[in-house]
Amino acid sequence: MNNPLDRLVIEAGKIILGKERTIRLALACLLARGHLLIEDLPGVGKTTLAHLLARLLGLNYQRIQFTSDLLPADIIGNSVYNREEGSFSFHPGPVFSQLVLADEINRATPKAQSALLEAMEEQQVTVDGKSYPLPKPFFVIATQNPAHQIGTFPLPESQLDRFLMRVELGYPDTRSERLLLTGDDRRALLLRLEACLDQGQLQALQAQVNEVHVSNAILDYCQALLAFSRSSPRFNHGLSPRAGLALLRSAKAWALLSGRFQLLPEDVQAVLPATVGHRLHSSADTAADEGAALADFLVESVPIP
Amino acid sequence: MIPASCTPLSRVQQYALIALLTLTALPHVLNIDSRISALFLVLVVYRTLAIEKSILLPGKWLLLLVTLGALGNVLMHYPILLGRNAGVALLTSMLALKLMEMRVRRDVHILVFIGYFTLVTQFLYRDDSWLVLYALLLLFGLTAMLVESSRSTASANLIRPLGVSLSLLVQALPIMILLFILFPRFSSPLWSLGAETGAAVSGVSGNISAGSISRLSRSPEVAFRVDFNGEIPPPAQRYWRGPVFWFSDGKNWNADENEELAGADLISLGQTVDYSVTLEPTPGSWLYALELPVKVPRDSQLRSDYQLIRNTPVKRRVRYSVSSVLDYRTGPLAEKERQKGLQLPPGITPRMLDLVTGWQQQSRSDTALVLKALDYFRQQDFYYTLYPPLLGDNPADQFLFDTRRGFCEHYATSFTLLMRIAGIPARVVGGYQGGQVNPLGDYLIVRQSDAHAWAEVWLQNKGWQRVDPTVAVAPERIQQSIDPNLINDIIGAPILFGEIDSGLLRAMLNQLRWGADALNASWHRWVLGYSKESQVYLMRLLGLGFLRGPKLAYAMVGVTGLFILFLTLTLLYRVRERRDPISSTYQKFCQRLQRRGLVRLAHEGPKDFAERVINKCPELAGSVSAISSLYIGIRYGRQDNKPNRRRFNRLVRGFRP
Repeated sequence: MNNPLDRLVIEAGKIILGKERTIRLALACLLARGHLLIEDLPGVGKTTLAHLLARLLGLNYQRIQFTSDLLPADIIGNSVYNREEGSFSFHPGPVFSQLVLADEINRATPKAQSALLEAMEEQQVTVDGKSYPLPKPFFVIATQNPAHQIGTFPLPESQLDRFLMRVELGYPDTRSERLLLTGDDRRALLLRLEACLDQGQLQALQAQVNEVHVSNAILDYCQALLAFSRSSPRFNHGLSPRAGLALLRSAKAWALLSGRFQLLPEDVQAVLPATVGHRLHSSADTAADEGAALADFLVESVPIP
Repeated sequence: MIPASCTPLSRVQQYALIALLTLTALPHVLNIDSRISALFLVLVVYRTLAIEKSILLPGKWLLLLVTLGALGNVLMHYPILLGRNAGVALLTSMLALKLMEMRVRRDVHILVFIGYFTLVTQFLYRDDSWLVLYALLLLFGLTAMLVESSRSTASANLIRPLGVSLSLLVQALPIMILLFILFPRFSSPLWSLGAETGAAVSGVSGNISAGSISRLSRSPEVAFRVDFNGEIPPPAQRYWRGPVFWFSDGKNWNADENEELAGADLISLGQTVDYSVTLEPTPGSWLYALELPVKVPRDSQLRSDYQLIRNTPVKRRVRYSVSSVLDYRTGPLAEKERQKGLQLPPGITPRMLDLVTGWQQQSRSDTALVLKALDYFRQQDFYYTLYPPLLGDNPADQFLFDTRRGFCEHYATSFTLLMRIAGIPARVVGGYQGGQVNPLGDYLIVRQSDAHAWAEVWLQNKGWQRVDPTVAVAPERIQQSIDPNLINDIIGAPILFGEIDSGLLRAMLNQLRWGADALNASWHRWVLGYSKESQVYLMRLLGLGFLRGPKLAYAMVGVTGLFILFLTLTLLYRVRERRDPISSTYQKFCQRLQRRGLVRLAHEGPKDFAERVINKCPELAGSVSAISSLYIGIRYGRQDNKPNRRRFNRLVRGFRP
């Protein structure tokens, strides 16, 4: 177990049972310096996963529960008059931490949503004309309920695009569920968990992602995928170049997680549903045809050159 | 997901297709009953309206009703559904009905193919060059339609599908030429759907009476075209001999088609002229040749009165080569010919006899008498007209003494009659005179309006001599052609001859007409004229004389097949060329596994595939994982070097699952 990444996966697997693939995807997302969106029904372990990642990576962590009356200042902080000094001083909000868990992001109004999303994009917040840089590394793990639930403000496409990946957890299988029901309280386990990485190690791993070898053959494959998404009548519109970059970056992180320094078509295929699922829209405009099914169709339609 | 073949059609596509198909069926309006065309039109207009208002699209039951109605319409006019017209009527009706049904892309494909078929059926009726151009244009459009409807998304503009269509047609060109040259030709027509029956062909026939030639003179239709091997003779010598009329009942003159074959007693006094004639269908079996023909074309006979008669009637266009001598002397007169050349019909009146007796007294020789007769036509007030007054029971007498207005047949027949009364053997010759030279193709066009009749008399020491009494009345007739457009249709009105018009528009129009005719002539000569004989000749020229009959067909199939194979291989090679050799070696590895039933999916990565194979056949684990990891290293990793490639090739070569 000399690979810290393997240890990460194993430790996480002890808390979130039977979801190794999702855990790996989430880790790959963070290694690729991307923000993660977890979409699923309430109660399947979204928040636990976010907690878990924060603890395993040894990051300081804040949670913002999004509600419909949440204001931007509740996220980024506000300036308060300091009577002793006779001036305004800035009280940073919960966004000033290395890992921010934005819980149920689609319950807040678009105004509050965009305050966070702006921070994600710029890596800094601006209050009263003064910019405050956010800590490094800075991750946002947002969770959201499926759009058809009552009382949600769905994220617009342009803001969805800021998340490198969107993953789903889904129900556990029978064996995992039995273990979960009979085992210890997850929260207690989480508190006992120790960090597997320190910040230096994390940064080193992030740097290693860039060193994964990308051959021409794999670039051909990625381009074929992008081209197909643009020409097929199945999709409303094709994948953007940003989506292409995201795909390649996530795939490299995935390869690194698997302990490889060369990118294989399998890596691209593994991260494809998570990276492009929220960026693809069916031309048929039926909810059932979204996301994962479209990604599967894309993978199955493009032969590996 | 909706299958691509069921994608609904765009409005532009529907309009374009309807327009193209209407144009495709348009020439058939001339061929089928007008009520079938009317139904076609109604259905097409209705379908066009339905583009904007889709509520108009008929449902299943209404469509069935319309179909039954259309079928009834066809059956009403063609009850036994046999023959060319019935087939075409059915095809056109079905085309319109299929249009009514057009909803999705699959229907477009079907319609385009029905359209192709309908285009071909046009050639059951006509084989003009303009029709070929028309058909090619529509072929181009229909193919573009097919290209456009096969695309997943509509093209931004029309240039793209038209370009693809053009490149497809150009690619088909070599195959087309190959098939044209090699397709076995038959002596008899390939299909006999009644193409020749019932079609009224005009032309000089074996029977003339007052008015039969003047009727022809109003037709600008082409009678034949002539290519000369040398100089084109001057107009005065362009007498195209057809039937020779010996017998008369006073009104009609008839030819004798059963004359004996020609003897060898023609004495040539000048040069021989060689030329080829492309004769359009005519009412009889006569072939036209300059006076007098000496070389007889194939499948025809030269009679003793120098009629050139084909063995079979000229029901379709024929092309033949002839030689003629323009200066000649025929030999002595046979007794039988003298008798035939002197027989008189009933209805010789005393005034005619008096006229001839007067001439006989004034002239010492037959030649002088002939000149006297011509002088008579010249000096008395005879007029040359296309609309002569109606003649009664004795046309010759009435014409000579009362009306004095007539066309060439009046002059030729009455002159012949007068000569016979005078005891000079004489006969009437029918045919054409003159013709126009097409400056663009350097060939001669002879039209029906050039139809002519003249006389021949037998003179001592000279033999049969041509005498054209029309020249005495209207000398311009021989120098110029009658322009059918300038005919003044008042009875008795004199004929105006075509003058060269100086108007620019007119000159351009003329140029265009000549150009079109030149195109048509080349089309007839090079494409339609490519007969069995020309094919045999061409094959011999190419040193392939042994290719005949069925062998030719085999050769056609073989060569075309080879050509297509060649195209396929080049295309395959081009696809393959782009592939990395390592990748094709890996492909070989996959093919070997395929024989064991382990098929790699197109989107399956090498690692996944290897895992699956090892899972299924653990005994292959060693070699499969070695090959796969080497492949991954070379293709996706940094291990792409020569020794690795060689090792990989060796491993795959030795891999025998």
